[in-house]
Amino acid sequence: MTLVNKVANKEVNKTAGTKVDGRPGIGNGDAVLQVEDLAVEFTTYGGIVSAVRGVSFNVKTGRTLAIVGESGCGKSVTVQSIMGLIPMPPGRITSGRARLKGYDILGRKTVNGKDIRGSEIGMIFQDPMTSLNPTMTIGDQIAEPLQIHRGYSYRRAFARAIELLELSRIPEAASRARQYPFEFSGGMLQRAMIAMAIACKPSILIADEPSTALDVTIQAQILDLMQDLQKETGMAIILITHDLGVVARMADDVAVMYAGKIVEQGTVDDVFYRSAHPYTLGLKKAMPNNDPARQHTLQPIEGSPPDLFAPPPGCAYCPRCPYSMHVCVPNDPEPVVVGEGHYSRCWLHHETAPEKPPELFFGRENSRPPESAND
Amino acid sequence: MTFAPADFTRLNQKQDVELITRPSLSYWQDSWLRLKANRRALVSLYIIAAILFFTLAGPWLWPVNPAAQDLDQISQPPGAERTAIVVPPYQPWDGTALVQEAGSRDTEGQEAERPETGFRLAAPATTQGVRLSWEPLPGATGHRVYRNLFPVGEELAFGVPVAEYFTNDALFFEDRLDVQPGTYYYSLVGLDERGNLLEVFETIAVDVRRVITVEEALEKGLVAQAAALEPGDEVELALHPLGTDYIGRDMLARLMAGARVSLFIGIGAPVLFVLFGVIFGSISGFVGGRVDAFMMRFADFVVALPFLLFMILFKIAFGIGPGESGVMPMLVALVVLMWPATARLVRGQILQIREQGYIGASQLLGARTNYLILRHMIPNTMGVILVTITFSIPNAIFIEAFLSFIGMGVAPPTPSWGSMSNEGIRNMLTTPHELIFPAIMISLTVLAFNLLGDGLRDALDARMRNTE
Amino acid sequence: MWLYIGKRLLQGIVTVWFIATATFFAMHNVPGDPLLTDRAMSPEIRANLEARYGLDQPLMTQYFIFLGNLAQGDLGISFTHENRSVNDIIRERFPVSATLGILAIVIAGTGGVLWGALTAIYRNRLPDYIIMFLVILGISVPSFVVAALSQLAMVNINDVIGRQVLPVAGWGSIRHMLIPALVLGLSTMAYLTRLMRSSMLEIISSDYVRTAKSKGVPPARIFTKHQLRNAILPVVTVLGPSIAAITTGGFVVELVFAIPGLGRFFVEAVQQLDYTVIMGTTVFYGAFLVFMVIIVDILYGFIDPRVRLQ
Repeated sequence: MTLVNKVANKEVNKTAGTKVDGRPGIGNGDAVLQVEDLAVEFTTYGGIVSAVRGVSFNVKTGRTLAIVGESGCGKSVTVQSIMGLIPMPPGRITSGRARLKGYDILGRKTVNGKDIRGSEIGMIFQDPMTSLNPTMTIGDQIAEPLQIHRGYSYRRAFARAIELLELSRIPEAASRARQYPFEFSGGMLQRAMIAMAIACKPSILIADEPSTALDVTIQAQILDLMQDLQKETGMAIILITHDLGVVARMADDVAVMYAGKIVEQGTVDDVFYRSAHPYTLGLKKAMPNNDPARQHTLQPIEGSPPDLFAPPPGCAYCPRCPYSMHVCVPNDPEPVVVGEGHYSRCWLHHETAPEKPPELFFGRENSRPPESAND
Repeated sequence: MTFAPADFTRLNQKQDVELITRPSLSYWQDSWLRLKANRRALVSLYIIAAILFFTLAGPWLWPVNPAAQDLDQISQPPGAERTAIVVPPYQPWDGTALVQEAGSRDTEGQEAERPETGFRLAAPATTQGVRLSWEPLPGATGHRVYRNLFPVGEELAFGVPVAEYFTNDALFFEDRLDVQPGTYYYSLVGLDERGNLLEVFETIAVDVRRVITVEEALEKGLVAQAAALEPGDEVELALHPLGTDYIGRDMLARLMAGARVSLFIGIGAPVLFVLFGVIFGSISGFVGGRVDAFMMRFADFVVALPFLLFMILFKIAFGIGPGESGVMPMLVALVVLMWPATARLVRGQILQIREQGYIGASQLLGARTNYLILRHMIPNTMGVILVTITFSIPNAIFIEAFLSFIGMGVAPPTPSWGSMSNEGIRNMLTTPHELIFPAIMISLTVLAFNLLGDGLRDALDARMRNTE
Repeated sequence: MWLYIGKRLLQGIVTVWFIATATFFAMHNVPGDPLLTDRAMSPEIRANLEARYGLDQPLMTQYFIFLGNLAQGDLGISFTHENRSVNDIIRERFPVSATLGILAIVIAGTGGVLWGALTAIYRNRLPDYIIMFLVILGISVPSFVVAALSQLAMVNINDVIGRQVLPVAGWGSIRHMLIPALVLGLSTMAYLTRLMRSSMLEIISSDYVRTAKSKGVPPARIFTKHQLRNAILPVVTVLGPSIAAITTGGFVVELVFAIPGLGRFFVEAVQQLDYTVIMGTTVFYGAFLVFMVIIVDILYGFIDPRVRLQ
């Protein structure tokens, strides 16, 4: 455990004095990853799918950014294109930039002489059962990035793999490291995946629905583990999920994605308590709540996301939005800042919009709806 | 961008929210669409249709007896010269020179001055006979005459000996042994007193012309009446579009007859053994328990039998009597040996489907066993069964061809593509068409069924749906 | 694992018994007289011969004598080569067939894995199209045609070079074996290529290869450590049936190339109705294949930890 302490101390120094609520550096973390206007397309039998259509966000040291949205909204494609995991063809990055510590990384494998994948950015996936090589021992798989990126000998890498398994709270790590994935349970595998992803102490950990395939108690353990490791190493986490409960528990910052675009972005409090986009509101209404004072019937969002073979020219959420207006159909809304670091893409925020629904947040000065709302 | 306040009025909600954009298709409709989209499978389907047409309708369009021998045209490649010159009936030859115009060349192939002496043609070479005469070779007390289809060359490959004389009394020879139109290379080699070969020899190339007598032409029905023909006229021999085989049978007619045998076995056997396998496998899967274990162990044993050896063994065990074709024993042997794969597959499918949620749901709704089988089991196993049959057909065609090729298949003279290949391979160097045509038929059929099988598997496999 | 091997061996022995029984009764059902020859035979000679081959005994007695001899590894004496035992014949002929077969399976296995991996990597590009076209040809053209054509090609090549580079027929040196082994392995290679391609394609898009990429594993290492080993597994499972296919496929190749192997001998024995040789060879081949399949299964266990450890 000495090693862990050492790492933790170093990171504490780095972010000293910026701690709020026990979390390092809210609002003050350095942007370790900056993504600007990223767009990804896929050429398929049916035509070209615009999976990601101009996404921008920053990920800050020691903080967790959650990307939320329905299935097929482009969350995974976004992070996979940053990692260079999109198969090309059929995939194609049509525009945008991603900068890691200021260096452009899109389409590259190294930055500043260091490998990006596995070394600067680690990644864990949704289904741990299929995400590990069935014919390699767990220890060998964890040791692999150390051998590749750090030049460790096999013995040293394997010994370090056992330490990492211990760090991920796997009992009897030394014997477990010699076992194969089929001998592990799902939760254990996900811990092993995490050990593998953080083996080279990456500055960013991308977790693509890390707990979706696990049962609820194991879910909580995995999320706790990730949080603890973040505290110890100070890495940034990009968490992809469709589970608002996980978001509330884990995230510092939230980006809500819909049909390949980020429709609302802000801190976790902004997005939960000051939701500024009808879609975010819809997601919240569809989420179960165990606060008896605020119990309500779950309201599903009617309809389904648009066909991204032919994305609509205007707001993609318009057909499902209870507040949709004529302007929404042909015109795509631009992001409107409603608070510090909090913006929303919705025509309701346009100054001409007559109606300001009370459930939505329109900035401090506009938070109260005009009297003429109900005519 | 500026907007009028009118733009910000509410849209009428609930429009087209739940619009279903794609029509719903049944399993078979969807499968057919997918198969039609697969160009290779579709082309294969056309090829199979063409082969079936060739097999079934062919004999009406080309009504030539596949067993009839045309001894004038043996091993003729397609498109061979078919004219014959009418000559008087054959007269025996006593060796007197009757040379008027002999078509001999020297071995360099140039049209040479007709040699007055040496090894030479005594008369124009025809399919009635090649008349050769010569002066004794230096030092020879006897001669041997060889015939070859190829030039003699440096290795002095003279070919087949056709005549031998131990004295110099007879200096002529008439070769009437199965002479065919074309070029022959005759060699005359000297012999010593004891009959050993000397080193002296002469070689000539002889172009043999096809001739026919009036009687023969009448007999073969090439002309209606004898008066129509006079010696020197030309007649056309019977047409063989794909040539003839080594005993003068029409290749096209034999390919059609062979197709019936090959496809009868190739399609009949898979249908039968798949049927048996389905019954066996469903009983095993449905009954389960000890019966299942016993039945499957039996299937394991049958699988373990060395397949081709037992095919041969069964074929001789069933016995082929004189005049029988041996098609039925082969069919039976195939069915006896090949059912277990299907039985296992169907059993596996049934066990898998039995575990599916929709079967339980259906049972909860009160469905009876018959209904379950009819509505769920059969439609869900049909695709797999169809694919199995399609892939078994090329396999069975191959096995038939293989066995017939090693002489363990259908009994001659019954033609099958395999036995035709077996006969054709003997003359592969001189008349390759006898091997190539049946080989192409086998390959094309096997190819078409394989590609169709691929297409069907992709089209029917539920797991593949909605991907790609 | 040892328990598993023991169980499989026991199963194998029972299977061989079944094969022997099926062979025995199939052969005794063959119409005709096994001792019928061109020469006339006096009743005494006939009685002697029947006694020698045990044909004077009741059928079930013959069966148990056959099984008893079989258990001791004695396959009897040939009917047509009267002074030779079937064991001798197999001992003389089988090594030739086995050499040819091993060479063929090595060619088919390595070729299949290599070409299959290559087509999967170059999916829907030129190398894929070319190889898959050849594979479809390899599957669709019967082996005797390939054998005949390759013989024809060898004749022409030897003609052009003016020397016997590769002998057209016969047996003896590695030069004799090369082309027959290639011809024999060709259709199996085509089949394995297809299998390897689909297996490899599945693995290329598998989650764990994506994981390996996300770890920054270089492509060459991904290929050897993560893709190849997993993709080979299904290929190994069909190796048993492939060995069977190659063994019997050897019949044709031995006939066409005039190779003095057991397959050709078997075909001759069938033509001459040499009962003991047919039975002996069939049981021998059967036992050989059964134990090859067991060996392949055990081998598979060593490659796949999921099987080994259960």
